[in-house]
Amino acid sequence: MKLKFAILSLSSCSGCISSLISLDIFPQFLERTKIIFFQFISDVKDTEDCDICLIEGCVSEEHQIPILRKIRKQAKKIYALGTCACFGGILSLSDIKVAEPISNYIEIDGIIPGCPPPMKLFGNCLIRLVENKEIELSEKNMCGICPLRGNMEINSNINISKITPNPEEIRLDEENSECFLAQGILCLGPITRDGCEHKCIKMGLPCEGCIGPVSKDFTSNIVNYLSLINLSQELKNYTGIFYRFSRPKLKG
Amino acid sequence: MIKLLKVIDVCKRVEGHGDVKILVQNDEISLVNFEFNIYRGFENFLIGKKLLDIPKIVPRICGLCYASQAIASCKAIEDIYNIKVSEQSRLLRRILMTGELIKSHSMNFFFQTLPDLLNIFNISQKTTTVYDLINYDPQLTSNIYELIKIGNEINNLFGGRSVHLISIIPGGIIYSPSKKNISIAKKRFQNALISLEWIIEKFIELFSHQLPPKEFDPPNLIYLGLSNLRNYNRYSGSLSFKEANRNMIEFEKHKYSSYFGKEPELRGIDFYFDNKKNVIVGPLSRYNINENYGTDEIQTYFEYFDNPWKNNILFANFMRLLEMYIESFQSIQILDDHNLNIKQEIPSMNSVKKHDGIGVIEAPRGTLLHHYYVDNHNSLDRIKLFVATEFNIPLINEMITNYAKELFERKGDINLVKNNIQRIIRAFDPCISCATH
Repeated sequence: MKLKFAILSLSSCSGCISSLISLDIFPQFLERTKIIFFQFISDVKDTEDCDICLIEGCVSEEHQIPILRKIRKQAKKIYALGTCACFGGILSLSDIKVAEPISNYIEIDGIIPGCPPPMKLFGNCLIRLVENKEIELSEKNMCGICPLRGNMEINSNINISKITPNPEEIRLDEENSECFLAQGILCLGPITRDGCEHKCIKMGLPCEGCIGPVSKDFTSNIVNYLSLINLSQELKNYTGIFYRFSRPKLKG
Repeated sequence: MIKLLKVIDVCKRVEGHGDVKILVQNDEISLVNFEFNIYRGFENFLIGKKLLDIPKIVPRICGLCYASQAIASCKAIEDIYNIKVSEQSRLLRRILMTGELIKSHSMNFFFQTLPDLLNIFNISQKTTTVYDLINYDPQLTSNIYELIKIGNEINNLFGGRSVHLISIIPGGIIYSPSKKNISIAKKRFQNALISLEWIIEKFIELFSHQLPPKEFDPPNLIYLGLSNLRNYNRYSGSLSFKEANRNMIEFEKHKYSSYFGKEPELRGIDFYFDNKKNVIVGPLSRYNINENYGTDEIQTYFEYFDNPWKNNILFANFMRLLEMYIESFQSIQILDDHNLNIKQEIPSMNSVKKHDGIGVIEAPRGTLLHHYYVDNHNSLDRIKLFVATEFNIPLINEMITNYAKELFERKGDINLVKNNIQRIIRAFDPCISCATH
């Protein structure tokens, strides 16, 4: 029996959808499943009962909430696809719009994080879903197998004053052996989940955390991290570094 | 008593969320609108961001034209710092734009508009599900998958990732390709040419002997696009307006505000012309503005189509195939260019030279312009984004309204109207994510 899949988009850039269609295994994915809803490529207007639903995009509009409630009743399993659906995503930068993860409204069965999800991780997750198995994500942070790990430096004596190296100072992985933190450049690797193959770091740029926190909660990770590093006043005042891909969780 | 009926239908097979809203008054259609029910507010939340941070945020406007967004942003910033990027970076940016274009155009052609074409020309009525479509012609399907894979791999190879690329930064590209990667890329583009030749010939075989329906004929148009002495090049050039049988008006990017603009609180682009003609951007505009494509095959391919095709909106589908062909060909030439191997330091950006900057390129769907104003702390003070789909909206609305009125009067079937006007919308390949930035 082929599993029935629905693919839904909320407020998004469609980058997760275009990544899905670009996967090497997309043709096999189509053949081995039955797609019952996928607005980008099909004419079907309404969702119906299905085994697995992947939802891309964050909740930013009232009218999206009933759509989520309806699909929760129809789908046996729901996975948040991409950082917007998992954590809120880039719209978290907005003061005006809300940008909520889908899990604020419905129970979900797992996440496929990343902006967009890295190809290898995405492909592996999709294969497991087609085989009706659970998704497995790394429980480690980026630093464990970072190419710059030899000199890893979390040290409150270093003044972290930049969010990115000056363009003329960017060095590629092989020329660059020093941890960004040791250079006074903020890197979110220590609190970010491993799984992207260090693509930014290999290009000479620090991690900006697009794949989301290593443990469930952005806020507690960030609070802990801030107690271990010495951030310059300018960066403390600059909004949208730690909460670029998710809003802070307010308690009480 | 006036009878009023509002019919709303969700657009299918388009990027993002759009609705068509049809207003029926006393059994006549009075208005049809292509509308969006999500707005994201990038122009708002980018304010206060450091200039060098912006190109990391703006690609997230669109997961199909991420490279175009990043490059337009970098060009605006380079304008503010008065920096010229190296020839190597310029060539690499063009290759990244081609990777993006191949992916975007091939997904649109196959999954979104081919079912319409097969239906309109009475070739197949049964390609409404994705399974019917992939089984329609397995060789076509595998050629399309091949193209999507190539676009993806090129972006991955030179951009560090296949969507929201890493290597594009203000001042250039942080990547100098190895000989091995140049040779891999060349092979990929050669394969793209083979797949494209097959698809182009298939398109000619299927459609060229018929004429496109007249509801896809646009009213009088003004084509807008970048012109590079009429050479096909989406990276640089001056902005141009072209009307049929008239001379082209060319102007430098900083003069754009004499021709069009937008109010920060209002959606849509205003044009400051006297006449009521609609502006169009995208493949059809590039076809009307450019003459030289750098490869002779293109003229031969044009000859298969009679004149009524050439300004019909459906011709954009053929142009998308040809643009992939032209750019794959140009990319092979770029990969052979010795300048691609000459690595130069990325210039330093210490002090701004002026307080606003403009970056303009041709994204897959048409002209994309970023205009930034900077404050005294090198942060963004004000921003205007002009995105391809926004330019096309007034024309789309005029065409679907005219056709809906005529069709409803003739057939009286509102469901038919709902379905058929969506074919016109899809022929424009609208990017709703972009339009709802």
